[in-house]
Amino acid sequence: MTDNRLTIEALTSGYGETDILQGVALTLCRGEILALMGRNGMGKTTLLKTVMGLIQTRAGRIMLDGSPVDGKPPAWLLAHGVGYAPQELPLFQDLSIRDNLRLALRHDRDLAKALQNVGRSFPFLLERLEQLAGTLSGGEQKMLILARALMNEPDLLLIDEISEGIQPSVVQRIATALKTERERRGISILVVEQNLDFALSVADRWAVMKLGQIVDEGACNAESRETVLKHLSI
Amino acid sequence: MALLLDITTTAALLFIVSAGLFVIFGVLKIINFAHAAWLTIGAYTTVVATRMGFSPWLSLPLAVFVGGLLGAATEIAIVRPLYRRSLDAILATWGLGVVIVQIITLTFGRDMQMPPALITGTVDVLGMPYSSYRLFLLVAAVIMGLAFVLVLERTRLGLNAQAVIMNETLARALGINTSQVRLVTFMLGSAIAALAGVLLTPLSSVDPTMGISWLIGAFMLVMVSGTSVAALALACLCFGAAQVLVSTWISPILGSVTVAVLCAVVLRLHPKGFARG
Amino acid sequence: MADRAHSLAVSDRMFTRHGTGLFLLGALALALVLLGPLFLDRFTQNVLTRSMIYAMMAITVDLLWGYTGILTFGQSAFFGAGAYATALILTHIGGGMQNFALALALSVILPMVLAALVGWLSFYHKSTPLYASVISLVVPIVLTQAIFAGGSFTGSSSGLVGYPVMKLGAANYFRLAGVALILFAALSWIIVRSDAGRVLVAIRDNPLRAAYLGIRTQKVQILLMTVLGGIAGLCGFLYANAGRIVAPEIAGFGFGTQMIVWTALGGRASIFGPALGAIGIDYLGAQLSGSMPYVWQLIIGVLFVAMILFVPRGLVGLLPRRKHSGAAPALVALPDQRQESGRDALLTVSGLRKAYGNFVVLDGIDLKVRPGELISVVGPNGAGKTTLLRCLSDGTETIEGNITVVDKDIAGRPPEDIVALGIGRKFQVASVFESMTVAECLRLARTTHERPSLWHRASTIELPSAALEILALTGLNKKLGEPVSGLSHGMRQSLELAMVVAMQPRLILLDEPTAGLTKAERTLIGEVLKRLTQNLGYAAILIEHDIDFVKEISQRLVVLHQGRLVMDGSVEEVVNSELVRSIYSGMAHD
Repeated sequence: MTDNRLTIEALTSGYGETDILQGVALTLCRGEILALMGRNGMGKTTLLKTVMGLIQTRAGRIMLDGSPVDGKPPAWLLAHGVGYAPQELPLFQDLSIRDNLRLALRHDRDLAKALQNVGRSFPFLLERLEQLAGTLSGGEQKMLILARALMNEPDLLLIDEISEGIQPSVVQRIATALKTERERRGISILVVEQNLDFALSVADRWAVMKLGQIVDEGACNAESRETVLKHLSI
Repeated sequence: MALLLDITTTAALLFIVSAGLFVIFGVLKIINFAHAAWLTIGAYTTVVATRMGFSPWLSLPLAVFVGGLLGAATEIAIVRPLYRRSLDAILATWGLGVVIVQIITLTFGRDMQMPPALITGTVDVLGMPYSSYRLFLLVAAVIMGLAFVLVLERTRLGLNAQAVIMNETLARALGINTSQVRLVTFMLGSAIAALAGVLLTPLSSVDPTMGISWLIGAFMLVMVSGTSVAALALACLCFGAAQVLVSTWISPILGSVTVAVLCAVVLRLHPKGFARG
Repeated sequence: MADRAHSLAVSDRMFTRHGTGLFLLGALALALVLLGPLFLDRFTQNVLTRSMIYAMMAITVDLLWGYTGILTFGQSAFFGAGAYATALILTHIGGGMQNFALALALSVILPMVLAALVGWLSFYHKSTPLYASVISLVVPIVLTQAIFAGGSFTGSSSGLVGYPVMKLGAANYFRLAGVALILFAALSWIIVRSDAGRVLVAIRDNPLRAAYLGIRTQKVQILLMTVLGGIAGLCGFLYANAGRIVAPEIAGFGFGTQMIVWTALGGRASIFGPALGAIGIDYLGAQLSGSMPYVWQLIIGVLFVAMILFVPRGLVGLLPRRKHSGAAPALVALPDQRQESGRDALLTVSGLRKAYGNFVVLDGIDLKVRPGELISVVGPNGAGKTTLLRCLSDGTETIEGNITVVDKDIAGRPPEDIVALGIGRKFQVASVFESMTVAECLRLARTTHERPSLWHRASTIELPSAALEILALTGLNKKLGEPVSGLSHGMRQSLELAMVVAMQPRLILLDEPTAGLTKAERTLIGEVLKRLTQNLGYAAILIEHDIDFVKEISQRLVVLHQGRLVMDGSVEEVVNSELVRSIYSGMAHD
């Protein structure tokens, strides 16, 4: 048993002819929040998809608690404590909040308890269970995506650009929810972000990705903002 | 009044015949051209059941069983490998249909069969005698439609199926076993088609090629309705009415192509069909 | 004169290469069909006459489906229309030379009109291949029902029989059908190998890219369907004369699907496969179906399913594949042509708003692009950059606001029309033609400038020098004869870029053109883009994430953020602005 909840070694993967990831190495300890930063097109989303088993690994290894998991389907990972909040087309717009949340569970019998859990951080969801997801505001949709990822009480959470395009107040709520969840259950979280200030406010450590590789990483402190901004901005 | 009854019962018949194809198209996004063969198989289960001396009613569960079994085999052997080649999947299921029709011909001969009807006679509707079997079909179609809605809205399988219909990638990312959903759907669709075949027996001639004449109409209705049950019901009602009216007032032969032609025109003018507005 | 001599030399070379063998094969086939009646009994002659007519039908299906990607169940309708036109005239008007001529003319014209109508119904902007197949199913069914409804005029279900036919005798019908088949096969073979034939395959492989090269895909599809409808009608004429009987089944969709079976079993996208498939299956069927009709059908059905599953290329696919033979054409540089460089805006966008339902992607976008300008669009993910390019290159997108290209409103114009106005678009994921060679892709990019020949492949491709430079940078000019499917990601990117430049558009839209290229390649591509815009007067809009690259080559930067154009200025201004820094650090929200 190692202390690393998630270990990624020399990972290569991609679509078609292209290798988007070109030897990514990254570790995430138990109870740690790591912010993975980088501009678009650098491979951050691809990394999460590869970990989730949605894209095939071409080289390298992905390990949970030290045992290799690459090649496992998403269902297996979800059943083994991984939660995932995807960025692209993340909700069933024509289904209700309840059904969107239900789909994250294997069995409907666990629904009531799971709803209570996510309701702690996002009570508005419980009040509007029958509302169609497509009619929610952008920020509410993001909170629903996060709530869904928390339905199975995962101890490893992968979050893809949850703060994109939403108001600061909602970003704040999401940050609080993530921190609360970590304090309550000691879970590990990998946040993929472009929003530097949000990412640094929740994370313990940061890493920057460029053209399919991790180019820099460090602990979050007073200098982090300047260092990372140099990598990110124009 | 008779016309109105004709219209609703014709619509019911169209709905029953298209339902199996609709289920498969909705989830798997492929047109199952073996649909005609499933209808035929369903009808021949009645032939077999009654020959063996059972009640024709027994052929209903029998057809569901046989259809489901064949559906499972077809999904695994033919449809699954062609998942990414949808036009080829159409062709392969068509080929399968040809094979099944020939096997039936070899077994039963190409002559018309006359199995006993499930229900005979007439009932009086507002003082006018009307075929009780056609009314029974209306009831069957309504039950089938309600069952669809219930399964989709109330069961976990229905929810998973909806998820696959709306966004298969996301469904997979949420851990839904999409290939299992596809398999079950194909089985269900085939079973429903076989069931429809049984229900057709008193109205249609039962011979090896009987399914073909129903295929195109069903196919066009499904194309127009997309993935919405309500749209399918509405399409059956509209085009069923058109068919009855054309057959009654112009010519029965033209009536038989009304559905196909109207659907083609609707799709040309409004490519989304009845699915959205 | 020089041109003529040149093209003669080309066709000479074509004949010497694989020509000799095929020429001999054609001569042998011709000898066989001419002498055949001396050895074959009458029954066999009759069956083979029919099989050879069917073989022509299989070739028409192959041209539509195998080469152009239109899966049609409806060729039987045109065949039936031709046959019935013939039989009806001969039944109701009578025989005689004049009436045969009339029947011949009508049996071609009627199906052509019908086919043009079907084509118009099937192919329109954003029509799907499935829809075309659906229509092709409906047509034969309608026609069959019309024949049934025709009563004694059309003979209803029993068809027409006993009408006067051209008295050629079985042997001569056999020869006539044979010669017609060989001619049609040879003609089809030449056309599918010509530059025009490549256009068909381009439409099959990637209709979107074809349209964005300015190829009027729907028009080509309708034209092809019309011509092949006429050929099918001609086959019907032959059939009605040789067979002396027409029945509704020959117009039906069952017969239409049979043609697909022949084509699939013989091997789609090969002229000879479907022809031999049709002859083989029909002839064997005639021999065997007497003794065991259903078993024969059963075997064909099983074979068909197995073939689709395991050997999609058909029996021809089992033969060893010939290597891509033939030398690649030479590239010839066009003289540099400076685009007219008025100071007037080439592209004007005003008040552009684009929403999907409630979700607003772009809002209040105003933008002017003048000749010679290179504008880079930057902004975080989801800012609407790619959507902006889509709206600029496809006038059928529903938008609010106005987009004009050289003072013409593009609203309602499909991509190929906008290409004609002078806009070329490079997609984010390289979009090329998978089954073709590099040279073939480049040739296709020149379709709107040089009408592709129906008979041969030109031995040279004329390209603007900028396109040649792009090819040379990545070494693509040495891979002209190689298939695109084997190229690396970076090479595909530069091939597509070269294709877009080869179209000589006034305004080039580039969606991340350098993704997947090495640092060195990026710099070189940047140089080419700079030269195109600064020296040659092209305009370009570039979406790019590599900010160093952007700084290097652009004069103006436009910043999109959450669907709004938040800044439009010089590189210096934008790079140093607080607003942009805050956007990238995530704090800017309205």
